[in-house]
Amino acid sequence: MTLDMELALQTFFEESNDLLGEMEQILLEVEAETTTPEQLNALFRAMHTIKGSAGLFALDDVVRFTHQVENALDRLRDGSLRLDEDLAGLLLRCHDHVKSLLDALAAKDTLPIAAGLPLLAELSARLDAVAPGHGDGAAGPTVASDAAAPASGQTASSWLLSLRFGPDLLRNGMDPASFIRYLHTMGRVVAIAPVTATLPAGADFNPETNYLRLELVFEGTVDAGALWDAFEFVREDSRIHICPLAEAPAQLAGLLAEAEPGEAEALLAAWLRLGLSPQAAHAPEPAAAPVTAVHDAVKTAAPPEARQPRPPESKFIKVEAGKLDKLINLIGELVIAGAAANLMARRADQTPLVEATLTISNLIEQIRAGTLSMRMIQIGEIFNRFPRVVRDVSHELGKDIQLTISGADTELDKSMVDKLGDPLMHIVRNAIDHGIEDSAQRRAAGKPDEGTIWLNAYHESGSVVIEVADDGAGLRRERILAKAIERNLVAADAALSDQDIFKLIFEPGFSTAEHVTNLSGRGVGMDVVRKSIEQLRGSVEIDSEPQLGSTFRIRLPLTLAIIDGFLVQNGDATFVVPLEAVIECIELPPAQRQDNGHDCLNLRGEILPLLHLSTFFELGAAPGKRQNVVVVRFGDSKAGLVVDELLGEYQTVIKPLGSLFRHLKAISGSTILGTGEVALILDIPSLIHYATRKESERYSLESEWGKRSRSGG
Amino acid sequence: MGALNLRKRDHGPAVEAAPEIGQYLTFQLGGETFAIGILVIKEILEYVPLTVVPLLPGFVRGVMNLRGAVVPVLDLSLRFARDKTVVAHRTCIVIIEVSYNEQPHYLGVLVDTVHEVLAIPDSEIEPPPQFGSKVRADFLDGMAKVEDHFVMLLNVDKVLSEDEMALLTDMKPDAAAAPEMQLETE
Repeated sequence: MTLDMELALQTFFEESNDLLGEMEQILLEVEAETTTPEQLNALFRAMHTIKGSAGLFALDDVVRFTHQVENALDRLRDGSLRLDEDLAGLLLRCHDHVKSLLDALAAKDTLPIAAGLPLLAELSARLDAVAPGHGDGAAGPTVASDAAAPASGQTASSWLLSLRFGPDLLRNGMDPASFIRYLHTMGRVVAIAPVTATLPAGADFNPETNYLRLELVFEGTVDAGALWDAFEFVREDSRIHICPLAEAPAQLAGLLAEAEPGEAEALLAAWLRLGLSPQAAHAPEPAAAPVTAVHDAVKTAAPPEARQPRPPESKFIKVEAGKLDKLINLIGELVIAGAAANLMARRADQTPLVEATLTISNLIEQIRAGTLSMRMIQIGEIFNRFPRVVRDVSHELGKDIQLTISGADTELDKSMVDKLGDPLMHIVRNAIDHGIEDSAQRRAAGKPDEGTIWLNAYHESGSVVIEVADDGAGLRRERILAKAIERNLVAADAALSDQDIFKLIFEPGFSTAEHVTNLSGRGVGMDVVRKSIEQLRGSVEIDSEPQLGSTFRIRLPLTLAIIDGFLVQNGDATFVVPLEAVIECIELPPAQRQDNGHDCLNLRGEILPLLHLSTFFELGAAPGKRQNVVVVRFGDSKAGLVVDELLGEYQTVIKPLGSLFRHLKAISGSTILGTGEVALILDIPSLIHYATRKESERYSLESEWGKRSRSGG
Repeated sequence: MGALNLRKRDHGPAVEAAPEIGQYLTFQLGGETFAIGILVIKEILEYVPLTVVPLLPGFVRGVMNLRGAVVPVLDLSLRFARDKTVVAHRTCIVIIEVSYNEQPHYLGVLVDTVHEVLAIPDSEIEPPPQFGSKVRADFLDGMAKVEDHFVMLLNVDKVLSEDEMALLTDMKPDAAAAPEMQLETE
């Protein structure tokens, strides 16, 4: 396939996926309430467009399947079929099948056609049940719309199609042959006569221009609307004329008048071959067409009402992600350059220049914020998958569960949204499978029969928080503890808080489920969940009350490529502390200046543990004359970082350190200062955690050393 | 660089199997001469002061700013478990492109001096000795005979294997807990 075809096919897949998504959403919604005509039309349109586009690419298997679904949707549209839960379920399964066909095509795998056969059988059974006698798979009966059209009713009808394709047809990517193929799926092309009078001889021939005109007689149980829809994509440039065969002779004169110069004779000949002759044989007139060439004025069959107006201009633009990334990189460089310019202006001590660079920095800041927000997408995009999941799983398990979503407009970076999908899916599945009890148990506990799962998202001080809550039975603390002891994950007498016990469920292979369903219970999901979230530099908390329910809270940093940081100096090394973690800065009282690495400060009555960065990082520099303490927060606690100098706020681009440093604790990245030097960005929670670990090891080691020195001397 | 003219040209099927000649950059490290194929070498820079990254094994000397990208710089001598490279006026940083997870990454290596680019035919390259060379055998692609001494060809993928080095960085924190081990790496 040529590159262009590949690209066109890509677009087809993307658009079809969007349409399938719409279709699924509507099908899920319609279960709850009565359906509106708009929804049914949208469903029909989705399947119809996919069918049409698939036809253009000659994807006959897709066309065949979607055609049947389209028939069913058409009957829904005109009211002869009612949308009940079973039909919705069937349509959802058809939707899944179309999706799997498209996925297989995209991956160039073999198509799972067999899977569609039972669905097709069910569909035709449904259709038969409403209109007995027309069980033909290929061309389902279509009932005439209520337009004032001389529709053909339920019997086969014959039509004349005069297809004058425009010269740009081929350039626009259409192929006349594909239309004929498509007509074949709707009925039978009885006879076809091409008219090639406009084909120039010799050197004037342009292989990319279409000179073909087709006159054909078609027979099928369709109405004018269906035939019109087949040519939806070429209506703009081509003159399509469709009329019932019976009325054709009367129309031919008009068609002749419209014809291209030189074509008229060939047209007449073609019609004769088809068995038609104009009612009043006119001599071919020169191209002084009396009527404007708009085919709408000529056709006899008014398009059925159901044809929707073009959807409103989308207010979104599809941008290739790579372009956006490049732009963000450039903005990053711009931030650095702006900072360097500002630094030099200040060094040169020129006030007007400093002000000018500050103005530039301001503007850069605004552009930066705007550009970064382009990468942010609403979390609703992954939340949208869940109604379907909840519905399917709860049906499968025979539980009645309702899903409530809030905060779907909370935005996060696109890359994080992609990686969140699976962990959330696991947690939601667990909530349905293990969390919410079945109706009998719920009734016994005095809860409403219907269980509820909440999906919520919000921003909180530099993080995004996503909650999955259920009103089920809650986590069984004793069972978890018992299982953990059984697997030697904890000592039998360990004193663990509730949080610690709940966190045990993230251990690999851990499961207290008594039965393994095909969803969960095997103990594979939760440790993957934790790992995925840690990869996003996030954390998971669990709140649970027995009988009341559980809440899983995922906290993710709003990792933007640019952070507001606080520069500190330690000897020769410069570090950046994320500004959101900084609470305050104070001078280290001279009395506290020791460098043995562990001491505390009395901060207005609070105990503040101190961490001497130079000692901790083994930087080896002697402490400066004055030392300062940067009080930082992590979670609910505080700590003080002892550094030499405070260099002030600094906005900077995060440069990742690369996979070589992936195990490096306490450093989350690097940045380039205005001077061109590299400064390291501290990861405060990781730093504190690491320091705590080292402390505890040190104490255990010291006791070891103590023993050895006492014994060995 | 006269050596570059020796690049083999395709004269069609009539050419007999011409000897494969590779181009190698030779450099000095701790008194010995090593070589790396030039295809992976991106550039050679004068030494610039590096930003030290704490809590890493000694062979990661730090990071540098390479036109806006932060590139780690390694001390090959320490990587080969020898002495730390002393920075002198001829010390250079060689930027090498390694492929990791199908993405190109850049790493810098610190060398004492850079010599010339040599064209070394495959016929002059012998397999590395199992023992006796002062460098781990799997770090070497071979030994090349150049005039009357041997030049050690480095297997860049192994020496600069990110997986191996990342593992080592992971181990360091535990090493730090036992003070006696700390002395070794420094």
